[in-house]
Amino acid sequence: MILQNLRKSYDGRIVLDVSSLELENGKIYAVIGANGSGKSTMAKIAAGIIAPDGAKPEKNKLQTGYMPQKSFAFRMSLRKNMRINGGDAEREEALLKALKIEHLADAGAKRLSGGETARMALARLLMRDYELIVLDEPCSAMDIESTLLAEKLIRDYRDRIGCAVLIVTHSISQAERIADEVLFLSDGKLIELGSPEKLIEHPESEITRGFIEFYSKA
Amino acid sequence: METALHKAIELIFSGSALLEDIVWVTVRMSLASSLTALLIGVPFGVLFGSGSFPGKRILVVLNRTLMGLPPVVCGLLCYLMFCGVGPLRHLELLYTVTGMVIAQVILITPIVIGMMEPFVSGIYPDIRETSRGLGLSPVKTLGLLINESRYQIISTYLMALSRALAEVGAVSMVGGAIAYKTNVMTTAIMNFTNMGNFTTALALGIILLAGSLVINVAVSLMQGRADA
Repeated sequence: MILQNLRKSYDGRIVLDVSSLELENGKIYAVIGANGSGKSTMAKIAAGIIAPDGAKPEKNKLQTGYMPQKSFAFRMSLRKNMRINGGDAEREEALLKALKIEHLADAGAKRLSGGETARMALARLLMRDYELIVLDEPCSAMDIESTLLAEKLIRDYRDRIGCAVLIVTHSISQAERIADEVLFLSDGKLIELGSPEKLIEHPESEITRGFIEFYSKA
Repeated sequence: METALHKAIELIFSGSALLEDIVWVTVRMSLASSLTALLIGVPFGVLFGSGSFPGKRILVVLNRTLMGLPPVVCGLLCYLMFCGVGPLRHLELLYTVTGMVIAQVILITPIVIGMMEPFVSGIYPDIRETSRGLGLSPVKTLGLLINESRYQIISTYLMALSRALAEVGAVSMVGGAIAYKTNVMTTAIMNFTNMGNFTTALALGIILLAGSLVINVAVSLMQGRADA
């Protein structure tokens, strides 16, 4: 699938300037870059949440699922939050179990912690089959155990559905663990795209190398 | 003062027909006006809080201005519309409960919109982003938005009811405070005080305060549940 015109500017400031992005079904793409590099904007345009410059806001033709950076829990139980997105009871139970939140299933979702809310939001998204799922820092509020569970779940979902996954992350180690391809953005431009080994171990661009070195030391 | 208070409490439990009528007219008018204001105000509050359309800012500012509309000005406008030379004279609404309800609706609806609009605009961006992210239909998104706002809607209704119960200026001008017809608690308190009948005025004041207390406790409980 090819996502066209990933360009966005606010008040004349270009925040994302990528002409197109080709994604292959069955692959996980991690988007990395510093704050303000355009990662979330790319995710939102890819998911049809915001329109690129010169286009009307509309959902792209793909069946796209999107998990925002800030997970929102509706005022109902965790289970009912998941059911908003359809799906069957079997999948519901499997997701609850996979993310270790089955004991919270009937709890009010507004009472969940940040990490639990993020797990609920991921489970809710995966209740349905999509051709492309876009995840904007899905694990930023999760502890390491939940992060690893979430990563496994995302990989399993990809394997089962065969969809493409675009995941925005601040964590280079997460990109290494989960991604088939890594995209590095800087100042709204796509600087480099390649396998985690290539991009993280042997980056071609000086900007990418600088970013990787800085984050590796941090 | 102590004797008057004692007598007032006795009067409340005496089953006075006059008192019962005043309370009944007040309840009827307050419920009708607050429910109508809610039915009109909530959709506009949701629209102003979640919609994006030309002229929205002007409408929001206009509504905020109407929230401060003095009741006597509203009463005067309604009086001029309903009186013998007014454009709506054929409806014969002057000195009727229906006329009082209309005046109250004009006063309360902007308050309902004004309470709903900031609440909805606060939660809608997250709901919209989540719903669009899941690919939910606009109807389902609206349903989720209403569900998310349910405690706010109830709190808003109770505030509207409280305002309707306590209002005096507009209902006095449009209703005329006619005994056994349009006399409500607030106008009756004014009349009985002017006549020197402090016992009845005090009895009505106690009932009004008790009603206000019940409503405020309910609002407080609702806010507690909403925060939970």
